Amino acid sequence: MISHLVCALSLVVFYSLQTAVFSQATLISGTADVVLLFLAAWSLQEQVKNSWLWTVIAGVLISLASAMPLFAPLIAYIGVVSISKLIQKKVWRSPIIAMFIVTLLGTLIQQGLYILILQISGTDIPLGISLDHVTLPSLLLNLIFALPVYAVVSELVGRIYPLEEET
Amino acid sequence: MKFLNSKNIQTIVIIVVVGGVLFLALSGYLTPVFNLSLNPLVSFQRWLSVRYLSARDFLTTPGDVVQLREQNAVLESQVTQLQTQLIEMEERLGEAQVCFALLDFGRTNPQYEYIAATVIGREISPFLQYIIIDKGTEDGVRYGMPVVTQQGLVGRVDAVIASASRVKLISDATSVVNIQLQSAEIEAQLQGSLTGDLSLDMIPLDEIIEPGDVVLTSGLGGNYPPNIFVGQVLSTQQRENALFQTASVQPIVNFESINAVLVIDNFESIDISPLIPEP
Repeated sequence: MISHLVCALSLVVFYSLQTAVFSQATLISGTADVVLLFLAAWSLQEQVKNSWLWTVIAGVLISLASAMPLFAPLIAYIGVVSISKLIQKKVWRSPIIAMFIVTLLGTLIQQGLYILILQISGTDIPLGISLDHVTLPSLLLNLIFALPVYAVVSELVGRIYPLEEET
Repeated sequence: MKFLNSKNIQTIVIIVVVGGVLFLALSGYLTPVFNLSLNPLVSFQRWLSVRYLSARDFLTTPGDVVQLREQNAVLESQVTQLQTQLIEMEERLGEAQVCFALLDFGRTNPQYEYIAATVIGREISPFLQYIIIDKGTEDGVRYGMPVVTQQGLVGRVDAVIASASRVKLISDATSVVNIQLQSAEIEAQLQGSLTGDLSLDMIPLDEIIEPGDVVLTSGLGGNYPPNIFVGQVLSTQQRENALFQTASVQPIVNFESINAVLVIDNFESIDISPLIPEP
């Protein structure tokens, strides 16, 4: 119960940070996606069992708030958490490396999906420009913020799960 | 002769001497003598006073330090309070300046009614150029309403909920605005892009456009009211074998730093898409 509450509150905080701060702090035209980083870090935690549920909830809510068509954020976040779960089993001894790998692959998948969906919906998205101006800067920013977000999420999980076990 | 005894003589001598000294002193004849005799006395008094004050300071300093520290703490807290007030006042001044600028725009364009709104966020996807404002249907904001700042055109409302709205900026890749060039009276289409750059399309090759030409909305298409300032032509490009020339436009609004906007309340956009024949 506590983990659900903490996850919901954290998502609200990360979403607010994303729209109010990180979406405005651009590198060329790229921005960091701290919601993606939060979901990746949350699902990489061994104790966490509710990551799928919150990924779907976050994805649906963000898809409704976003102008991206066809529930693209939901699909992207499910993809990120799938990679995260897959990698968690393979490189569980090095969670930080796992976080970097999930961030790298997750960002590329998310951006590729966004480009594909925008192309399908008729928006003119030149691949070269989107790679140079959006995808690579976003990837760099996500990799920079991956470690702090992972640290915060690990700390949160480390504090709430002992409480969860007590109750 | 009893009066002239020795005691009386002494008294008279003393009175005469004292009177003489007073007379000499008052008349200034004794000043050098006084100086000569008083200077060592004053020097000694000064020396003694300085030593006394030093000794007194030394003995009373601990008490003063405590008092000074208390005073310092009080003053520091006052400084902190004043700094906080100053920051608040500066923030309010900034907000007031934005409000005054928006008010000026409203006064200079009295034909429209406005809803002032604050920008509270941006689109989560970096591929899209949208902002989120803090006014929604409860405040009278409706889908399609044009959004401006005191400088010029920003975009139009794309989605609305009760207390917030999403505004598509004219710099978005899917945004198309019908414009006119003020100097040449040419009509064209302004398009956004992935990177937020604006460009003019569909300009006939025989038209001459110069950098610095003012770009205004034309009102064609029914999405935006006419004659709203959009920006200035930055440069022109003509490709070989192309039917039209293109131009880059410098927007007047800095989309990165919009804090407040005005939603034009009494302009009804017209959806002409049903009238456009499908290919």
